Amino acid sequence: MPPIDCEDQELLDGFLTETTELLEKLDDDLIMLEKSTDDTDLMNRIFRSIHTIKGASSFLGFDLLVKVAHKTEDVLNRLRKGELVVTPEIMDVILEATDLVKLLVSDIKAGDIQERETEGTISKLLPLLLDSATAAQPATPTAPPNDQETASADTAVSAAGEPTPPEAAAAPETPADTAPAASASSVPAQKAPAPAAVKKPAAPPKPAEGKGGDDLSDNSTVRVDVKRLDDLMNQVGELVLERNRMIQINQDLQQSDADRPDFNEEFGKLTKRMSFVTSELQMQVLKMRMIPVEKVFKKFPRIVRSMSRDLGKEVELVIIGEETELDRSVVDEIGDPLIHLIRNAMDHGLETPEERLESGKPRGGTLVLAAVHEGNQIIISIKDDGRGIDTERVGRKAIEKGLITEEQFAAMGQREVFDLLFLPGFSTKDKTTDLSGRGVGMDVVKTNIKKLNGLIEIKSTKGLGSEFILRLPLTLAIIQSLLVEVEGEIYSIPLSSVLETIRVDQRQFHLIGGQEVLKLRDIVLPLIRLQKVFNVQPRGESDNFCYVVVVGAAEKRMGLVVTRLVGQQEVAIKSLGNYLANIPGIAGSTILGDGRVALIIDPVAMSEVCD
Amino acid sequence: MQNALVPVKADDTHGELIQLVSFNLDQEEYGVDVLKVREIIRMPIVTRVPNTPHYVEGVINLRGKVVPIICMSKKFGLVESENDKQTRIMVMDMDGELMGFIVDAVSEVIRISGSEIQPSPAMVAGGIDQECIAGVINQSDRLLVLLNLEKMFSRDEKNLFTGM
Repeated sequence: MPPIDCEDQELLDGFLTETTELLEKLDDDLIMLEKSTDDTDLMNRIFRSIHTIKGASSFLGFDLLVKVAHKTEDVLNRLRKGELVVTPEIMDVILEATDLVKLLVSDIKAGDIQERETEGTISKLLPLLLDSATAAQPATPTAPPNDQETASADTAVSAAGEPTPPEAAAAPETPADTAPAASASSVPAQKAPAPAAVKKPAAPPKPAEGKGGDDLSDNSTVRVDVKRLDDLMNQVGELVLERNRMIQINQDLQQSDADRPDFNEEFGKLTKRMSFVTSELQMQVLKMRMIPVEKVFKKFPRIVRSMSRDLGKEVELVIIGEETELDRSVVDEIGDPLIHLIRNAMDHGLETPEERLESGKPRGGTLVLAAVHEGNQIIISIKDDGRGIDTERVGRKAIEKGLITEEQFAAMGQREVFDLLFLPGFSTKDKTTDLSGRGVGMDVVKTNIKKLNGLIEIKSTKGLGSEFILRLPLTLAIIQSLLVEVEGEIYSIPLSSVLETIRVDQRQFHLIGGQEVLKLRDIVLPLIRLQKVFNVQPRGESDNFCYVVVVGAAEKRMGLVVTRLVGQQEVAIKSLGNYLANIPGIAGSTILGDGRVALIIDPVAMSEVCD
Repeated sequence: MQNALVPVKADDTHGELIQLVSFNLDQEEYGVDVLKVREIIRMPIVTRVPNTPHYVEGVINLRGKVVPIICMSKKFGLVESENDKQTRIMVMDMDGELMGFIVDAVSEVIRISGSEIQPSPAMVAGGIDQECIAGVINQSDRLLVLLNLEKMFSRDEKNLFTGM
């Protein structure tokens, strides 16, 4: 395997960007194809994508990639011509091949090309190219390995030119080869008598598959709409004008014309315009960082498809609002939690077709994945119409695992029981399968959502289904925050986690087992005195009245007791640096209008302090 | 012909010239490598950070960057003097991270040759950790303690900061 010897790095970058995009689209299209098999446009699009990938990679001399892409293309070509009919089995093979292509591309991206096992996948593709595997006769690509062996060996001889013994194809193809299709098939034809190489029924490169896919989706370059860039330029232009105006005013001031009666007014106007332009600018830049949530959502049809096949369940995935945009930093983080939630819904939530028919539901289950904007947040919900969460069973399991006691369970409301699901190590499964049962998934969900300052809400009705609702901030760099004062010190609480603020008399607080609580309508809210947690020196006489900021972190709710509310402000998050990175209860810091540093409270860590 | 711009080579062969920033802490004079010092500023408003070791004074806003501030006298268990006009914060580069240290006063930048640095006497008990004393400089009219601030925080302390 030659190293990446492209003199032209730009060329390679272009190739990677293009291929990555094509592959992302490809997955989606392939799943679609399975549903609407007679869509010629779609079919042609898929064929073109693979063809482009093949062409480009052969130009750059990535032989392994060419080989896999070429075989896939051949199969697709037969599908296109109607010589084969799309069946789930064929799709399985094609998807596997696409995965392999992804893996190879991610290798190239990582800059270290490895000798990957490609023969296993290729040998699955080969039978589909046999003349015998026609539309009339259902193809048997998932046949046992020994069948494949013979099949692939046969193909090598019969379908002359097409089958490419892996080792043979790699050698004669040079990077300068610009006519890939023609030469690739003609050269190996002479070498066809070496099909022994194909004879190893190799294990498909499954283990690395997941990683490969992830690597592809990380992107260090951004595509920005030209329109947005133009808007940005306009804003910057305005900003320059305002700066000039400011310099002018400053000069006037220096020449002590400042007592001019209109100075105040001028300066006031300037301030207003400046703040207008900067907030516009901020919005523009923020928008550029926004990418549609589709980026994450688009890999789910694939996951749902393979899981439903594995589990023997019939599931229809409905995706709503995939065009909803959110910050790339958030997009990067929500992938994992969503996968876990979807797995849970598929594995625990939805029933098998038989069970569903018994309980009077339609055979196929529905899984709705929806994203929507709400104010400064994005709300993502995963809803299934499965069996719902059995609170009784969850409770029993938790007791069994020693996570709670009988008495504790008896006192629990539905909400508290749902919270048990998030405990690390909790699982209702008796046996660990490769899908679930380790009790890790929900813990991952909780951790990631916490990291994003998000909230999780569970709604579930036994027998009717469950819904997991994630509320996430749109961006992580600039947040809306509530400034509060604790005995003279200013702290900032992310507004996204603030549910409400109330002014209460401290005499209304109750003590339960040493923990101060407040009765707030129908819930009992644990209270945390920031003054105590942060060891702030009390200042003078204390008023009986104080403010309680009700915050939610992931699935928890609690009240933070503060002296005074200062106001709401948009703040830019600054890290405290490595040395102070892990102070309990503090998420970071920000700089206030007067230049002072204010610490940002981390409601999530607070809840742990509270525990 | 001697060019004035060419630095005169130190005539003693062992040790090149080192520049040190000298500063005062509780009557004594200390020095740190000038290359580690980013800037020296007056005391701004420091925001206290809760639940940190006592010698962490807080954080400041250094032109939009949030920088932690360590009180050196507290860290070394020395007598702490009131902040006055002379009090300065030395902003240092610690393994790529900025960190500010409160000192009583910063006096000057001095040049010494490496050979002047003597190992510290073994009997320094209490106060400053042996670890972060890189040596002493004994000149006729002054005694300077050379500090290596990168060794200031023990592994445990670093864990305390980052591993909680």
